[in-house]
This record gives sequence, C-alpha cells and structure tokens, in this order.
Amino acid sequence: MTAPTGASTGYRVRRLRRSALWTALPSAGVVALLAYVPYVLERKVTDTLVDFFILLVLATTWNMLAGFAGLVSVGQQAYIGVGAYAVLVLAQQGVNPFAAIPLAALVCAAVSLPVSWLVFRLRGGYFAIGTWVVAEVFALLVIRFESLGGGTGANLPGLDGFDAVLLGAMTYWAALSVAVLTLLGAYLLLRSRTGLALTAVRDNELAARSVGVRVPRAKRMVYLAAAAGAGAAGAVLVITQLNVQPGNVFSVKWSAYMVFVVLIGGVGSLEGPILGAIVFFVLQRALADYGAWYLIVLGAVAVVMAVWVRRGLWGLLERFDVRVFPTGFWLQAPGGDVARPPRDDPPPAPRH
Amino acid sequence: MPVPILLELDRVSKRFGQVVIADDLSLTLEAGSTLGVVGPNGAGKSTLFGMVSGDVAPGSGEVRFAGRSLHRVDAAARCRLGIGRTYQVPRPFVGMTVFENTLVAAQQGGRLHRQAATDRVLDVLSETGLLASANTPAGRLGLLARKRLEVARALATGPKLLLLDEVAGGLTEPEVVELVGIIRAVNARGVAVVWIEHVVRALLSTVDRLICLAGGAVIGDGRPEDVLALPQVRQIYLGSAGSGPGGPEL
Repeated sequence: MTAPTGASTGYRVRRLRRSALWTALPSAGVVALLAYVPYVLERKVTDTLVDFFILLVLATTWNMLAGFAGLVSVGQQAYIGVGAYAVLVLAQQGVNPFAAIPLAALVCAAVSLPVSWLVFRLRGGYFAIGTWVVAEVFALLVIRFESLGGGTGANLPGLDGFDAVLLGAMTYWAALSVAVLTLLGAYLLLRSRTGLALTAVRDNELAARSVGVRVPRAKRMVYLAAAAGAGAAGAVLVITQLNVQPGNVFSVKWSAYMVFVVLIGGVGSLEGPILGAIVFFVLQRALADYGAWYLIVLGAVAVVMAVWVRRGLWGLLERFDVRVFPTGFWLQAPGGDVARPPRDDPPPAPRH
Repeated sequence: MPVPILLELDRVSKRFGQVVIADDLSLTLEAGSTLGVVGPNGAGKSTLFGMVSGDVAPGSGEVRFAGRSLHRVDAAARCRLGIGRTYQVPRPFVGMTVFENTLVAAQQGGRLHRQAATDRVLDVLSETGLLASANTPAGRLGLLARKRLEVARALATGPKLLLLDEVAGGLTEPEVVELVGIIRAVNARGVAVVWIEHVVRALLSTVDRLICLAGGAVIGDGRPEDVLALPQVRQIYLGSAGSGPGGPEL
C-alpha cells in the first residue's frame, strides 16, 4: 500500500530549527535563578511567587485540556480540592506534607479516571457544567467528614517543628518543582507522538479521527494528567496556607483564573499560559489596592482578548515565528532547506 | 481466481428527519478497483462516504470492509483498517506544517514509527507534489495545495480504500490533469479508489465503473459511458438545469 520509496534520499528531519541548547540553557538558567531566590529575597517575595507557580500549573494544565483536547472544563477545582484533602489525610496519618504532594497528584489521577467515564458522555457546554457539578459534589461529600473538619476545614499537621524561614523556603522550592515538572511534562507530551495527535485534535477533531487518531483515548490521557497537575497545585496550596478550607479549595474562582490566564496568554500553545500567568499576576498585584476597579479592569481585558485577540498575546507574537518551546518538525532537503514559507503571507486563520 | 470484495454496503438506509439520504442501498466494491460516484446535490454522496468512514452511523443495514462488519467501529479504527478519506471542504490541521499534517496520519492511521513514518511522509509528499511546501503551515496553503494535502494525508495512512470527495472541484484544467495522474498512480499500486466528483471529465479518465445516486438510491451502475447514457441519469441532469451547480461539468 505504500508509495514507492526513493523520494526520501538525503532528506533529514529535525525537531528544532536551531540548537536544542537555545531552549535548554536559558530555561535551566531561569530555573536556577528562581531556585536561588529564597537565599536573597524575603519571605514576602517567595510567598508571592508560590501563588504565581500555583497559577502557572493550573493554567498550563487547563490549556492542555481546553486548548488541545477541546475539553472546556470549569471543574478542575474538584482536583485542587481532592489534592488538598489528600495531603491533609496523609499528614494526619503521619506522612510528611511535602512527600504527600506527589501522592496527592496520583490520588487525583486515580479519582479522575472514573469521573472521566461520567463526564466524557457530555459535550461542549454540558461537559463544562458537568465538571462543575462534579466539583460541587466532591465539596459536599468532603464536608460530611468530621475528621476532615467538616465545613470549616482543618489545620494541616506535621509542619509545626519547622523554622518559619526554612518552611517558607521549602514551600517555595516545592511549588517551583511542581511548576517546572508540569511545564516539562507538558512540553515532552507535546513533542511526543501523542502530542502531535493532540495538536491535530486541537486544529480539527473530525479530520484527526479520519487519519486514525484515537481521540477519546488522547482526551482521557490529558484529563488524567490535568487532574494530577491540579492535585499537585492543591497540595502546594494547603502547605502554603497550613490549613484546608473547603470553600476555598473547591471554589469555582480557580476555574475563572485558569480561563482568564489562558485567554489572555493564548490558547493552544505552551508559551501562552506562561505569558498569561505573568500578565494576570502583574495586573492582580498592581490593581489589588483599587477594590472593584481591579475586577472591572480584569473583566474588560478578558472581553477585549476574547473578542479581538482570539489567540491571545502569544498568538500576536507567533506571527513573528517566535518559539520558546519548539515542538514541531523541520524538513531539510539534501541541498539545504526546502522552500521556506513566504513571510508576507497572511497568518494562520483563527481556529474558533 | 476471483478478485476479493473489499467494501460491501448491505441494504443501508439513512434519513435525517424527513430527508432520505440512503434508501436500502447495496453496493460492492472489488479490491483495487475504481468507482466514480455522481449525482445531484443532496443525493447522499457525501453521507455515503460518512457511513463508510465512520463519521455517520447508518440508520439500518450494514457496512462491511474486507469481510468484517464495521458496526460500532469508530472512524479512527476504520482508518487503521485501511479506509482513507478526504473531505469535500478541506480540513487541514491549520496550525501544523504540511509535513506534520501528513506525519500524524502516517503515525496514527498508518501506525508507523520513527524513520518508517518519515519515509512514508516523504514518499507521499513527493507523489502529491507537496515536498517543497513541507515546512509551510497548512493554514497558509491555497485551495489546490489544501486539496492535495487532503489526498496526501489520506495516503499517508496507508489505505486499501481511498475515498475522494470532490478533490477536483475548483481546480483549473492543468491542475485537474495533474491530480488525475496522481490518483491513477495510487490506484496502480492496488489501492481501491471511490471518487465523488462533479467534474465528470476527470472521473471518466480515471474510473472503470460509475454509479449515479439520486434520492438515496443507485439509479445507474456500470461502465461510465453506459451510465451517463441511461435515460434516468440524463433526465436528472438535463431536467435539473443541465450543467448548473447540481449537474456534471461535461
């Protein structure tokens, strides 16, 4: 069934148009700098950055869900909550809360599998609302347990002996680790076979099925991974606050944050949510003292982005062929390059 | 030795509300053969493809491929069995390059890995004349290139059966000639081709057999020139504004 071979002689396929070091070295440098922050800056700064890392993890995983798998969930707070309570329960059993972070992620992935059987029966808006309902149900179930503090929540045991400065630094490193692992995981996933298939699903789900992409399987995999990411974020959140409040961890506000960050940063790319998280965070800090104006400005920005800048801030930059995390392929002809795309062509049409 | 049957539609029916798309339709296709499909707009041609490729579930009846029932087999699995299709309105993965569009088809539908997948892609791209555009994002392609990409992507899955839905529509004469050449070469390798096309001239130079669909039923089946000469076929085309939008471009 294959075409006659022979055309391929001399062609080479590269994963990057430039050396991999151009991505790896600056990224490693940024991570090393961030890891050094607790030694030079005060606790206030590291605490702020922990909040940023949590937001980054949530936005990155939500972007995988909505931007690639087409699963617009407004119920990821279900896994923030489950991750938070998993740390609480494990800590009550004597497990070190920091060691409980990866376990919380695993618990969330395990919980999300049966949930996916349920919510994957729904499409579009029904899926969105369905996921929200699941989150509410989880919250209602959790507050039934007196040992977990019921509706008022509980304090996190197991960290009393720590010096406050050391605890702050450890929390910071834990949050940084979760963020780096999430981004690295998302990057490696997108570079893989499954990642290419997911990108096809992102661009045209019907056509993806017709070229053999097992769409339900790919979606389920992303859903599990996103649940694990949200669970890890929830786990870090508990350690930051040293207590669990069901009204906070299961709040739909988290979904609003995720949607907002991905919307302004740009959906369907790895870089978009990072940019979005930075912009959102700066806006949030800059406008925090202005009360209601904070929400008005944030809302206005979201509306402008949703209506006129569909592909987000990163979408604007992509027109100039900017790529921080290249995931694509580049074909090199025997005599050098195959024809480059002309630069003056119109950019790719918006997908939505 | 008789040629094995590749595709079988056994009394397939499909209706959307009151509109009958397929009415007790039966059809068999031999492995490696070619079949042209003509008929007025709304005759059920694209839905026929949908029922074979798995995008549309038949209301009743059965579709069999290589002797195996396709009941409850999804589109991705059908592709992996060897059914490749194109869409009438091209559906490129706009954010991916031509190379990546074809690679995902070779990897998923063709179940190829690493170098084998790359080799398949390079062969298909050179065969369809897309090699020079390999690194172009599919969203930047013009109509001809998009149609070629549809064909390239379907070929990259390594099909035994290729379903072409109006790939010649909107192309200029030399472009059609080139496309016909590509499709004949694919068929010469043993790939069965079913081709829905309004550009009858392109069909006549490619297919050995032609069916005419109208109202969800086959009203003509046989050698292309015989089918086009049938009174009921002539009446449909001549009766409905000749070679207007719904008719064949003779």
